[in-house]
Amino acid sequence: MSEATIEVSGLRKRFGATLALDEMSFTVRPGQITGFVGPNGAGKSTTMRVILGLDAADAGAALIGGQPYRSLRHPLSHVGALLDAAALQPSGTARNHLLWLAHSQGLTARRVDEVIGQVGLESAARRKAGGYSLGMRQRLGIAAAMLGDPPVLMLDEPVNGMDPEGIVWMRGFLRSLAAQGRALLVSSHLMSELQDTADHLVVVAGQGHRRHQRR
Amino acid sequence: MAATAALGAVADAATKCPSGGCQLDPARTCLTGIYLSQAVVAILAVLAISSEYGSGMIRVTFTAMPRRTTVLAANAVTVTGLALAAGTVAVLGSVLAGRLILPGHGFTAAHGYPPLSLGDGPVLRAAAGSVLYLALIALLSLGVAAAVRDSAVAIGIILGLLYLIPIIATVVGAPGWHRHLGQIAPMTAGLAIQATTGLRSLPLSPWTGLGVLAAWAAAALLAGGLLLRLRDA
Repeated sequence: MSEATIEVSGLRKRFGATLALDEMSFTVRPGQITGFVGPNGAGKSTTMRVILGLDAADAGAALIGGQPYRSLRHPLSHVGALLDAAALQPSGTARNHLLWLAHSQGLTARRVDEVIGQVGLESAARRKAGGYSLGMRQRLGIAAAMLGDPPVLMLDEPVNGMDPEGIVWMRGFLRSLAAQGRALLVSSHLMSELQDTADHLVVVAGQGHRRHQRR
Repeated sequence: MAATAALGAVADAATKCPSGGCQLDPARTCLTGIYLSQAVVAILAVLAISSEYGSGMIRVTFTAMPRRTTVLAANAVTVTGLALAAGTVAVLGSVLAGRLILPGHGFTAAHGYPPLSLGDGPVLRAAAGSVLYLALIALLSLGVAAAVRDSAVAIGIILGLLYLIPIIATVVGAPGWHRHLGQIAPMTAGLAIQATTGLRSLPLSPWTGLGVLAAWAAAALLAGGLLLRLRDA
């Protein structure tokens, strides 16, 4: 999995008067969980949106396996991302949500059922996603991120709203993904949430400044 | 669709052509329901894209398909297809209702009105043109929704464009201005396609009128597409 990297260099992004990102740089390497820690509003989500080509940076570059996101043909086979677990068509079933995503990437319904099994949503997959608890939505979001079997995963606050059992499951699942050689970027506003899970931490201290820390 | 045909039927039933002859256009009368169905088409086309902004799904969509123009094009194909399908059913229902009801209200051969028939060139143009009109309204709405994102704002802009300009035109006294407003307003210009009588007194010829609406739709899609590409999602 040589393309399993995220390289962020010198990202700068301004929203009106606020400088959201100021020279944000870090690298996410294969086979590791990189924790992305900082207070709310420090620019973690903005950084992830820039990596995914959703927001344009004013300066700097973000590359996935050496390529900008917008140039990827079937992007979900390169990066799986969970940004906002609430982003769903509430009237649709979880399975249909995944089917739609799979079809956009040339993937089959069989793959959809595989990822539903991986995150333990088999019994709820044909229910309306609008009725899901936040913890179930997080699982559905992980399933969506896993669809393309990507070498890189990027998860924004994935244990938010999960019960203790779910948090234990998530930690184990993320560790197993890293053990398969994938590169994971996992954000949290709580250092303690990632302490035992991450191999490597990127700490943002407000307003997009970055301090590095290795364990 | 049913409401379109029903409103057409009500309009059919409400008009009378007295024995002395009349200035009414039977094709246009039976297609009155389009005034209603265009609002439904506009709202559904807006929701196709603005509901994704409302739920945050747009980010999932753009993550899966980073080429945003392709996303807009796919939406355009979908709403056009739905508008054409629904429009065809609604228009056929309206013409059928007109054919059954209008002769009982003085629109008879004796008054110079043969029964409505799609075999008649201008009637066919009015009917097919009304279907195309609905498709163009869908595209105009999609473009506006892509540009402004919020469903309430988008629906307000479109309904304003459609219904407000003709209302302003009736208030404007100067006949020259009145005529110009009729030529550029998307609804008035586009619905010229329904005219089968009195073509000379129209501010625009039927196909030119539909062309004006097409220009509105193209401009809205262009603006929507550009903003979609340039803006943060």
